[in-house]
Order: sequence, then structure tokens, then C-alpha cells
Amino acid sequence: MTTDATPTAPAALPAATAAGNMKPPTRLSIAGRELGRAAIAVIIAMIATLLIVFFVSKSPVDALMTLLTAPFSRVRTFGLWVDDVAKLTMTGLAFSLVFQARQFALGVQGQLYVGALAATYVALSPIGQTWAGLPLGVLAAMIAGGIYGFLPGIAKARLGANEIVSTLMLNYIAIELCNFLVRVSLVPPGSGLLTTDKFPKTSLYPVLVANTRIDLGLIFAILCVLGTWFALYRTSWGLKLRLVGHNARFAEYAGIKANAIMVSAMTVAGALGGLLGSMFVQGQAFGQLTVLFEGGFAFEGILIAIVARNRPLAVPVVAMFYAYLRQGAQLMNIRTDVPAEVISVVAALIILLVASQFGLPAWLKRNVLGTRRGATR
Amino acid sequence: MAFIEARGIGRVYPGGVVANDGVDLSVEKGEVHAVVGENGAGKSTLMKILFGIERPDAGTLSLDGRQVHFDGPRDAIDAGIGMVFQHFSLVPSFSVYENVALGSEPRKGIRFDREAAIARVRGLSEQFRLNVDPMPPVRTLPVGQQQRVEILKALYRNARVLILDEPTAVLAPQEVAELFVAIRSLIEQGCTVIFIAHKLPEVLEISDTITVMRQGRTVGTVKAKDVTEHELATMMVGREVALRVDRAPRAAGAEVCTVSNLRLVNARGADVCRDLSLGVRAGEILGLVGVEGNGQAEVMEAIAGLRHVADGRIVVADQDIVPLSVLRRRGIGIASIPEDRIAEGLATGASVAENIVATRLKDRRYVRNGLLDLKAIKANAVRLIEQFSIRVNGPAVPVGTLSGGNMQKVVVARELSEQPKLLLVSQPTRGVDLGATQFIWKTIAAARDAGAAVLLSSADLGELLALSDRLLVFYRGRIVAAFHNREGLSPETLGTYMLGLSEQSPEELRAGL
Repeated sequence: MTTDATPTAPAALPAATAAGNMKPPTRLSIAGRELGRAAIAVIIAMIATLLIVFFVSKSPVDALMTLLTAPFSRVRTFGLWVDDVAKLTMTGLAFSLVFQARQFALGVQGQLYVGALAATYVALSPIGQTWAGLPLGVLAAMIAGGIYGFLPGIAKARLGANEIVSTLMLNYIAIELCNFLVRVSLVPPGSGLLTTDKFPKTSLYPVLVANTRIDLGLIFAILCVLGTWFALYRTSWGLKLRLVGHNARFAEYAGIKANAIMVSAMTVAGALGGLLGSMFVQGQAFGQLTVLFEGGFAFEGILIAIVARNRPLAVPVVAMFYAYLRQGAQLMNIRTDVPAEVISVVAALIILLVASQFGLPAWLKRNVLGTRRGATR
Repeated sequence: MAFIEARGIGRVYPGGVVANDGVDLSVEKGEVHAVVGENGAGKSTLMKILFGIERPDAGTLSLDGRQVHFDGPRDAIDAGIGMVFQHFSLVPSFSVYENVALGSEPRKGIRFDREAAIARVRGLSEQFRLNVDPMPPVRTLPVGQQQRVEILKALYRNARVLILDEPTAVLAPQEVAELFVAIRSLIEQGCTVIFIAHKLPEVLEISDTITVMRQGRTVGTVKAKDVTEHELATMMVGREVALRVDRAPRAAGAEVCTVSNLRLVNARGADVCRDLSLGVRAGEILGLVGVEGNGQAEVMEAIAGLRHVADGRIVVADQDIVPLSVLRRRGIGIASIPEDRIAEGLATGASVAENIVATRLKDRRYVRNGLLDLKAIKANAVRLIEQFSIRVNGPAVPVGTLSGGNMQKVVVARELSEQPKLLLVSQPTRGVDLGATQFIWKTIAAARDAGAAVLLSSADLGELLALSDRLLVFYRGRIVAAFHNREGLSPETLGTYMLGLSEQSPEELRAGL
């Protein structure tokens, strides 16, 4: 019925305008490019650190050596590093998940506090004295965090409330709620400290390596990395979430309920944030609830997620590196005359360089990397 | 030596895309010089170089016998070159004269001398027969007038050379005619016009000389009077093309989709259309004609489930689909090729395979127990890439790296991989090159022949006339005319209805419906 006047089958198309110079961007080459970019960002940031240390320190070489080697100098400091890696991984995952759905929800901090509160109530109740204290504490923390992630999600879906504003406000509410509850009811009578009693042993994470902070939290972090990766790349929920993140209008057109996916992503990320709260208070590092225990830690996840490009499998790698720097800086702070704040400069530089997708000057690319960006970019 | 001489222009974009590779262009003073070529042929890059937005990596540019270097559009404007882009840069709330004078206002002391600006704009408008009133705010003007405001902006800055980038893409036939009057008047008064286009009949009508580009190179320059449309098309594509779909008349089947008394409202609550009724039968293509913004796109969105229905019924396959979700509607057999593939039809950051499976996430072939069957998804994508000749290096490549035509083929492949009952098609070949256009037309016609009811809306009347069995003309949310597509139905006839200049009587309408 639809015959042509001239014999030109569409099959002739590919030959007609073969571009010829297009190399297929394999997954490996993309990963390599991202890795190279991250590595260069780190090198530039380290050079800046070097300069700063040389300017502020009387003995710059000692300071630098401390920064670069101290975390692995003893088993105890190694434990601090692993503990930091586990926690940074969790907050990085929580942010990656919402960022993949293109929701700029910054609520991990609040989820962390409500999760910690929930875990604390379980641990300090009679249940906390039994074997059920540990799992129920974790569960309660995840549910609390999940609800705390769900709230800004549903507010956005139903009322159009901007998630950046609502999550930041909810963060303050959670911090002050924790503050209030600790002061009025959780502090043991007569104590002058703003901290609860130590949790019973049955509610604490078991230690994995003796005399270190390495505990069950590490296992949770590993499971969450694998679980998040699986959910994002192997389930239809994950594909829907990523499609919503790429283009919400397209998702609606394709029959995906973008709002429902958005709310569910924020809820699941909230549960991860809640679990992180439990890792703090039920873990070996604290084993109790203290006001303001988190000290802005949750927001480090934004850096992790940005540098890892929201890829769950890249999150722990970035966390390992960043935790090393953090620990090194802490030890440098204690042992030398350079303040730990130096590391904020490093972090800021890395974020700037990675987030701006900086392009290297052409000569540097040719001479140093020997690569050219693919034509398909 | 010609008035404008570009010799051996080369431009390689960062990333290695060779946009211009030794392009030559010579434009004589006082002529309309068309530059034609498929998408990606390098026309726009060449024009950006002429206007100083891009700097060439190689080659020379001379104007009126003198070599010139433009470091930015400012230099080009100072040299007397003006450019009207496809997407206008006008301030909607400002009046015409304010838009025209913006940035080069006449002053009286430190005050903006409005009287002088108005007089100047009115003078230019009369001199070049542009027919634009300087007073009304730009947002109240139809697209054709807005375009002439852009031309005024260039003339106000003393442009002697005007570059028009696909000026007719957004215009109705009558508006095109008015634009051509203006272009002729510009030429009479000594201006030179460079006209970028890919609708060949228009090119042949308005231009004196035509330069054809293909894959970043100049294929040749010909006089308009010495060349036929077919020859031009062959030069553009580099092989024979037949932009025609042979439609055998056939008896349409039962009515698949019936829209009755539909009322739609926009975000501000104003009626987009009211009391609108139409029906499409199996095995026919119903063309929705109208200048953009007259309700045809909204009706399609309402049927697809992407727009709230204020009132009325939409019945597809004997059930009212208004309360159904997008997914349920797709389940009944409604497929849709949306107007804007990048904004709506694709997730450009996701892979080809993911884009193709996106509408089938409830299908047990690809998703079981919530888990993706990556093998099946990939195999399906590979099969469709083959079947629809999509030029891509495998199913894992992000869709955003494909050319416009290939992106559109991904959409078409997804929507037509299974025979739909009702197919909604908007602007299927906008920004798509001739080769892909030919392929997409045939695919749509094949879906019709296999029994789909097709609703087609397009800004390209040639496309509507080539494909449709029947045509409905929309004006301000109403159907003002209905035709059976027979020999002799001309774009001009449709145009008078599109612009609201005339309206069929109820009897004539009923005959067409």
C-alpha cells in the first residue's frame, strides 16, 4: 500500500551518513573518565592543601606526614577510619538516592536525629534489656527516618512544598526535638550532662574487631550499598526512579506515577538516614544519645554523592578516601599546629571541581592524559 | 568578488564534532541567498560564524571586499549584519518599539527618547512594508508579527545583511506570504538576505541563489531558476529521495476514538477548547490542522491522559477513558508520539534500551516480581534498533547523544513496536532530516494500514496533506473546517481557515466530519 516511486529502502540509511568517527562509549570508558576526573580534582585539592599547610604551619612536613599517614598508623586509628567510612557511606547513599530521583531533599540530618531518638527509646525501654533491643532499635530508627523522609515527599506531591525548604526546616525540628526530649525526659535524674545513660549491652552493635570502633554498622553499610545498587539498577522501581530523575514529564507520559516514585524515593532514603541514626547511638562510638551528637556530619553525604555521581557502588570508594582525609585532619589537629578546618578547604575544592564538571585545558589533556573526549559527548 | 565571501571555513566543536569542513559561501549584494541542508549539515554553524557567535578554526571571511574578523555578534552588527533566530529573544511585556530600541535607545539628555524611538520604528516598518505597529506589547502579537519585530531590531541597527534562521518553520502559509513580501521589499532597497531553510518549495519561491550543504561541506551553489525541487532534494541528501506516501483509498473501519463535548482549560482556568467533538475510525489518519496554540496539541494530550479534562467524554474501544491512568490507557492500545521528544518523549540521560522499555514496566516479558529482565530488555532494544534502522552504537548508549532523527526513531520504535489501536502523533518530523522523515511517514502509514486509528497534528501542512485521509482545522479551540483529503485541497485553502479568516457552515462541517 505504501510503495515508493523510487527504490530507496530505509535499510540503506546507516550507510548513507555513517559518521565513522564515533567510538562507542562503553560503561568502562565512562567510568574511567569519571575516575580520572575525580583523581585530578583530588590532586588539585591536595596541592592546595600543601600550600595552605606550608603557610600556616611551623613544621609543615610533620603536619603533612600526619595528615597523610596517621589514620593507618595504629589499629585504633584504623578503626576510627573504618567507622567513619561506614557512616559516610550511609549518608552518601541516602543523598544519592534522592539525587537520582532529582529531588534536592536535604533531610538526612533530621532523619538521623529521629532515627537516633527512636533507637534510644527502644534501648532504654525494658525491651532494650533483651536480645530484641538491637533489632527493634534498628527497625524503629528506620521507620522513624522513613516517616521523616515521607513527610516532605508527600508535602511536595500534594501541596507543591519545595523539598529543599521543607527538609531543612524538618532538620531543625528534629534537632530541637532531640534536644528537648533529652533534657526533659531522657537524661537520668540528677545528671548534669546532656546525655542519656549508656545503652544496655543487648542494644549495642556487636564489635567486629576488638578494641576498635569497627562494629555491625560496617556490615549494614555494605548491605545498604549492595541493596541500593540492586534496587536502582535491577528493579523496575529503580528504573522508574531514575527515569523520573532524568525527565519527570517523560515518566508521566510513559505511564509512571512520578509523584509516587518521588515520595517513595524520599521515604527509602529517609529509612537509610534513620538507620544511620541507629548506627550512631547504638554503635560502639557512642552507645548513648547525646544532644547535637551529629554535629553536621549528615551533610558530608552531599559531597560524597556529588563526587560519586550518585552511583551507589562509587559511594563507599569516595567515602573511604574522604574519611581518610577527615581522620588525617583530625589527627593533624591534635598532634600538630595545623587546625582540622584545613580539610574544609579540600572538601570545598573537590566539590567545586567535580560539580562544575571542570574541563581540562586541551594541552593538559593531550600531554598528560593522552585522551580526547569522545565525539558522542 | 562577491559581497560576502566565506572561503574554506572549518569549525570543529570541542568533542570532535566536525560542523564545518572547508565550507565556501559567496553571496552577491542584493540577492536572497538560501542555504539548505539536512539537520546537522552545518548550516547553523556557518551562520553563527557569519554573525560572530562562533569563531572559525580555519578559513577566511570577507565582507564587501575586505577581510573581517568577528570576535562577537557586536562586531558583526557593527559591520551591518543582523540575524533573526528561530527562537525569538523578545521581552513579552515590552511594547514593539521598546523591544526594537532595547540596548540602543535614542536619548534626550539621560532620558529614553520614546518619541524618537516610536517614530524611527514606524518609519522602518513603513519603509520595508513590515506592517508592524510600534505600540502594542509584543506578547499580544501573533508569531509572524513577532518575527518581523526581530527583523525590525536588525534594521534599527542598520543591518544591510539579514540572516534568517528557518524563518518559516513557525508560520502559517499566509504569514509566510507576508514574510516574503517583506523580504522582497528588503531586497528592493538594497539589503541582502541569507535565508536558511529546509522546506524546498519555499526556498525555490523566494531565493535567487541556493547553496546546498551536506555533512559540513558545501555540495554546490545553484541558481533557483535552474533547479527543480527533486534535484535539490537529491543534492541535500546525496541520493534519490521520494517524499511521498502513496495512499490507496480504503474504507475506514469502525470508530475507534470518539471525543464528545470536550472542554479543556489551561493553567489559568481559561478555556482551551469547549464543546469539541470528533471521531477517528480504524484505518484512517485524521489530520488536525491549525497554527500552534489553537487547541490541537491539548486535545491530543487529553486523549493521552496528560491533561485534565474539565468536561466531556473520550471513548476509546467502547470505554470512557477519562478516569483511566496513562498506564491503563496504554494498556487499551493507545500509543503516542509527543510533540517535543526531548521534553516529553525521552529521558535523554537514560539509555536507548531504558527508553524503549519505559512504557512497558508492567509487562511480564520485561519485569517479573518487580525485577528487570535485563536480557529481554536488551534483546528487545537490539531488535528494534535493527528494525527501525536507528543509528546508534548499541542499546546502552544514552539517547541524548543521538541525532534528532535517530532520537525520534527511538520514540517511534517504542510506540509502534506493537500495533496500537489508537495512535496519537504530534509533529513527528520536526527537526528531523529527510531520510528519517521518509522513514517515519512510512511507519505511520503502515500503522494505519494495519488498522490503527491515527490522530496527526503537525505545523507542516505538507506533512498533513501527504499523510491524512481527513483534515480538521482548529481555530481558537474550535473546529472551523473539515475536509476529505482529495486532490485539489491546497495549503492556501487550509490557511484561510487556520487564520480564522473564514469558517465552514454547519452543513459543510458535518459533511467533512
